[in-house]
Amino acid sequence: MISFKNVSYSHNRESGIYNADLQIDAEDFAFLIGPTGSGKTTIMRLIYMDLFPESGIVTVNGYHSNKIKRRKIPHLRRNIGMVFQDYHLLTDRTLFDNVALALHIVGIDSAELEDRVMDVLYEVGLDGKEDRKPNELSGGEQQRACLARALVKEPEIILADEPTGNLDPIAAFELIKLLEKINQEGTSIFMASHNYNLIKGRGHRIMEIHEGKLRNGL
Amino acid sequence: MNKLAFLILEGLKNVWRHKLTVFTSVTSVFLTLMIIGSLFITIDNSNSLIKYLRSKYKIEVFFKKEMGDKESKMILNEIRNISGVRNATYISSNDAIRIFKDQFEEDIHEMLGYNPLPSSAVVNIIDTGQEEFSVEPIIRSIKNISGIDTVKYQGRLIQRIERFYQKFLNAFIIVAGVIIVITIFIISSTIRLTIYARTEMIKTLKLIGATNLFIKTPFLLEGMFHGLFGALLATGTLIGLVHTGNLYINKIITFQINYQHTTTFWLIGISVVISLIGSYRAVSKII
Ligand SMILES: Nc1ncnc2c1ncn2[C@@H]1O[C@H](COP(=O)(O)OP(=O)(O)OP(=O)(O)O)[C@@H](O)[C@H]1O
Ligand SMILES: [Mg+2]
Repeated sequence: MISFKNVSYSHNRESGIYNADLQIDAEDFAFLIGPTGSGKTTIMRLIYMDLFPESGIVTVNGYHSNKIKRRKIPHLRRNIGMVFQDYHLLTDRTLFDNVALALHIVGIDSAELEDRVMDVLYEVGLDGKEDRKPNELSGGEQQRACLARALVKEPEIILADEPTGNLDPIAAFELIKLLEKINQEGTSIFMASHNYNLIKGRGHRIMEIHEGKLRNGL
Repeated sequence: MNKLAFLILEGLKNVWRHKLTVFTSVTSVFLTLMIIGSLFITIDNSNSLIKYLRSKYKIEVFFKKEMGDKESKMILNEIRNISGVRNATYISSNDAIRIFKDQFEEDIHEMLGYNPLPSSAVVNIIDTGQEEFSVEPIIRSIKNISGIDTVKYQGRLIQRIERFYQKFLNAFIIVAGVIIVITIFIISSTIRLTIYARTEMIKTLKLIGATNLFIKTPFLLEGMFHGLFGALLATGTLIGLVHTGNLYINKIITFQINYQHTTTFWLIGISVVISLIGSYRAVSKII
């Protein structure tokens, strides 16, 4: 589903990722850990093709970073559920509308829409808050709103960039369990985190990135 | 307190900035359509006005003195056969005496001891089916008939009206063209501002897989709504103006300015096209 072949990308001279190889298959659950500034978000952006490698090839669901046409990028992103580190919620819309937006983009019957949005809000524990605007939600709630928006379109892959960053340890643990449940239903999960304690010993693949170097298996 | 005043002022400025741009684009559509709409109404009505003038138009033909009634009537038939002639009425020299008597209350035959008036004919011309109104060919054909002395006509007036009308039409079309272009620019910059105000939203939409079309459409529609709104205001105003104008005109003459409802459809169509071009320009440059 996702593969990196000798991928390098640098924002500037000091920061970037170098010669990264990576493989994530259907139904995988993989963690990416590394300290702040190590390049986790950069890898995520390479996957959803917000960035393109300077050398090497990123392949996602059959789209190759060196060949993909600009107008195909939206199609690529529709099959990926992204939980952004900085949420990217629309501030002038309610939680419901933010989540529903993902379905409008995919294009779905309005009859089905409401049920699916309410179901997913229940799943992430935000039921009852659907009429609130993002600034009326706590940081952790906004993060879960972002997860709900990623889940609602039932994507093949979930990319979660630091989805527990604003959660207390119990809520973070709940979220990991939720992702595991989604994974068991067949969705691949790729999650970046700097909280090793949260993810260790759960039997998932762990990749580590340090100063731009990616190491598989820990 | 100073800070609060500053912030309130900033907020007001923002509101005003946006209101003003929407106001500007709606107003410019409104003005454009007022001009184009007046043009349509003018064309509709000047056609009927000129048609009216043509129907009232007549050529007077005087026959040579030596022509008797019989010859005159033959000439009359020749005139009737000229293309562009609707009908011709014969006025014998005796009729002419009677008409003179009616008008001047003098019997010229008695005064002079002989009849000085020639027999004549009044020729009416066809008022429809001609784009260019020109009496010259008809006059020339009439003059070519032997037995005709003089031909009198007031062709200059209608020709002058028509020439003026043509110039007026050309000027109007140029003005309309220029103002359409200006309106397109105004709408395009209005939409550009609203796009800039929503760059965060656009970025997010792109990140979660929205196609460009999905992102662009609301902005295109927004521009179209400005156009539609301007068009509705303009047609409403035009209909109102024609209505009240007719009330005043009817007090003086029995002419009615005619507002054709196809004008409304044209104006709405034009506004939609103009505003879509404007917003498309903005959208395709930025998004
Ligand atoms: N747009 C950018 N321009 C320049 N440098 C950047 C840019 N984005 C990231 N960087 C740099 O690239 C490096 C990797 O950044 P990245 O965001 O991938 O880190 P991260 O692992 O996600 O960190 P965190 O855990 O804090 O989210 C950092 O040193 C960062 O300063
Ligand atoms: Mg990051």
